[in-house]
Amino acid sequence: MSSRDTKGPAKPARRRVMQQGVALSAAGMLGTPFAPSAWAQGDDLAPYRAAKINWRQVEGQEITVAVIPASYFDNLIALQPQFEALTGIKLRFEKVPPGQIRQKAVLDLSSKTATYATHAADPMYYPLYATNKWVEPLDKYLNDATLTDAAWFNNNDIIKAWRDAASWNGQPYGVPYDGEVTVQVYRKDLYAAKGLKPAETLDQLAANAKALNDPANRMYGLALRGFAGAGQNMYIYPSIYRGYGGTWGSGSNLVVNSPQAVAALTWYVDTLTAYAPPAVRNWNWPDIADAFSQGTIGTYVDAHSSAAVINNPEKSKVVGKIAYARWPKGPSGKRVTSIWTWSFPINAALSDRAKKATWLFIAWAASAETQARTSWKFAGPAKRSGINRVSLWKSPEFAAAMKDAGDNFIPAALESLEQDTDVDWRPRVPQWPAVGDTMATAIQAALVGQKKPKEALDEAQVRIAQIMKG
Amino acid sequence: MPRTLWRRLALAAVAGVGVAVWVFPVLWGLLTSFKTERDVLAYPPVWLFKPTLDNYREVIFGASSIVPNLWSSFVLATATTLLTMLIAVPAAYALGRLRFPAKRMSGFYVLVTQMLPPVGLIIPYYLVLQKLGALDTYGGLTVIYLTFALPFAIWLMVTYFEDIPLEMEEAALLDRAGRLRTLWYVILPQVRGGIAVTTIFVFLNAWNEFMFAVVLGGNRVRPVTVAMFNFISVEQTQWAKVAAGAMLAMLPVIIIGLFAQRHIVKGLTVGAVKGGGRR
Repeated sequence: MSSRDTKGPAKPARRRVMQQGVALSAAGMLGTPFAPSAWAQGDDLAPYRAAKINWRQVEGQEITVAVIPASYFDNLIALQPQFEALTGIKLRFEKVPPGQIRQKAVLDLSSKTATYATHAADPMYYPLYATNKWVEPLDKYLNDATLTDAAWFNNNDIIKAWRDAASWNGQPYGVPYDGEVTVQVYRKDLYAAKGLKPAETLDQLAANAKALNDPANRMYGLALRGFAGAGQNMYIYPSIYRGYGGTWGSGSNLVVNSPQAVAALTWYVDTLTAYAPPAVRNWNWPDIADAFSQGTIGTYVDAHSSAAVINNPEKSKVVGKIAYARWPKGPSGKRVTSIWTWSFPINAALSDRAKKATWLFIAWAASAETQARTSWKFAGPAKRSGINRVSLWKSPEFAAAMKDAGDNFIPAALESLEQDTDVDWRPRVPQWPAVGDTMATAIQAALVGQKKPKEALDEAQVRIAQIMKG
Repeated sequence: MPRTLWRRLALAAVAGVGVAVWVFPVLWGLLTSFKTERDVLAYPPVWLFKPTLDNYREVIFGASSIVPNLWSSFVLATATTLLTMLIAVPAAYALGRLRFPAKRMSGFYVLVTQMLPPVGLIIPYYLVLQKLGALDTYGGLTVIYLTFALPFAIWLMVTYFEDIPLEMEEAALLDRAGRLRTLWYVILPQVRGGIAVTTIFVFLNAWNEFMFAVVLGGNRVRPVTVAMFNFISVEQTQWAKVAAGAMLAMLPVIIIGLFAQRHIVKGLTVGAVKGGGRR
């Protein structure tokens, strides 16, 4: 039986066809609202069967996958019937708000409940997960020929910056499904009118902001995330800090109040105070993208995926006026962009059978085929821009799908991903959740003028030293 | 005559301001729920716009319909309310009327359970429910809801029982009615208003609960408060859909509120009208 599956896309046996027919109609009866469109856009499983593995080796297994509410996961959920038909594994998706998914995942992993076979994981949590052995090291899955057809899966094609972010001490613990890279987003019409160029340095970024800033007419030069949070202001500030030449120190000896840190935070505070909407201190990126789409902001620096919001014709007034560029260099000449990836780990508390099923799900979700089917091949309106593979980023189909995003969209994002990333742009330590929150609070205290940058960072340093010790 | 007219106008004005403060957010939400996402963000805010039913269509019939979640909320809130009232009424009566050893202490203990910040209880609750296999079940979440609903209901009900003149009860007992008969025929009719008020507050608290539900619930048990949160994604906040969901979630509560209004007012004033009990 299994030899059939290991010899690639042989002609399916009659029984197998019937099994799939049953799986198919079952999926239809369960009334998955997406099912018709998912099948309409190419239900052909042959591209998956090209992999020399037995997709049905743990048929009948059930797994639960926690994701966040986001269109790029909705597209994946829409393809659920295809995965179930391919593998015979029953999937249960659970959408958990981003604010709670970390909490629920940590509870589940630490108590070894094994509720979630895998979840959309925050890359900064891998040091914590790996240190506690809550998730599986993935090299054994990648290297097991019964589970992974290395040539077909082509792990090295997955964007290295994201793979590194989902690794710890050189060992992969998660496989990136979707991701982001931070770029400059600017109004090319306003830039042209004033003869401005996208900034190459932080100084130029501030100068551009100054040139465009006109609060009396509800026009602000620049917006950067100000909201307190490890994934909010502590997502943008580290890039500035690294651009100023700062490093986080080594091992458990975290340094957050170096002279470069004070200079970087001072730049952040001064620039936002001078050229950003006053409310930016409480803005996360959806707020920034909303404001930009209403035409009240000249430039922002944030995730490339925000292109979807600012190009939404139902919401945005600036469609066709947008262009992109890489993160500006800091005074040290360094250009360190911030990156994000939602990746899938394997819960170590699962049974072996469930672990295999989970791996098959991960391999399916991260495969080039599924990535394409959730992006330009997707029948619905949302085409993912956070696809995980270099080859797909360079494909003409992706370029065609992204052609309306604005000028220089793919080159800016791809160059940033390939050249401007540094896995240690934020301090990767098991204590990250607490460290990140402490830093976020300090940054916001400085942003709202409660404390001077140096004072805020010195206090954070004391607290973080305690966290690292305890 | 003119003086009373002025008085009335002034009263109406003051009341109007008070009501406006309360009504404004609801009205704003209602307007938002009929706007397109583009109109939601319009500045200056638009009062006149072409209303759309798309948001309601999406939250009722769309891919992320909240109708199953309204049902979840209803089951949870109803189960919590029924169980709470079933236990709280006799418990409150006992605390208010009977003499038994350690009465003061047990009353105090009920109150103590309310002194812990709920956020500190999430992890213990999670672990307990996990051991019992009750995560993401109606039973599990209802039991958790009882932990805050019961103390609240008991202490609210005690005050109503204490307001009833002792003589009424003694008269019934003298007529050879038993304790339970007395409770059922004499006491309970007197605290009808109190029961109505307590029922509604317990129901509302359970209906609006978010923090426990988001962690201890899951795919099977997901009340509307948690489901609505999914319109706030990492990509964007769909304000109009959040508003439409909120309006739908408010609807049952408003209906119950209107239905029970008579009782609530009575419940709140009963002590005053009757001159109070021993207080």
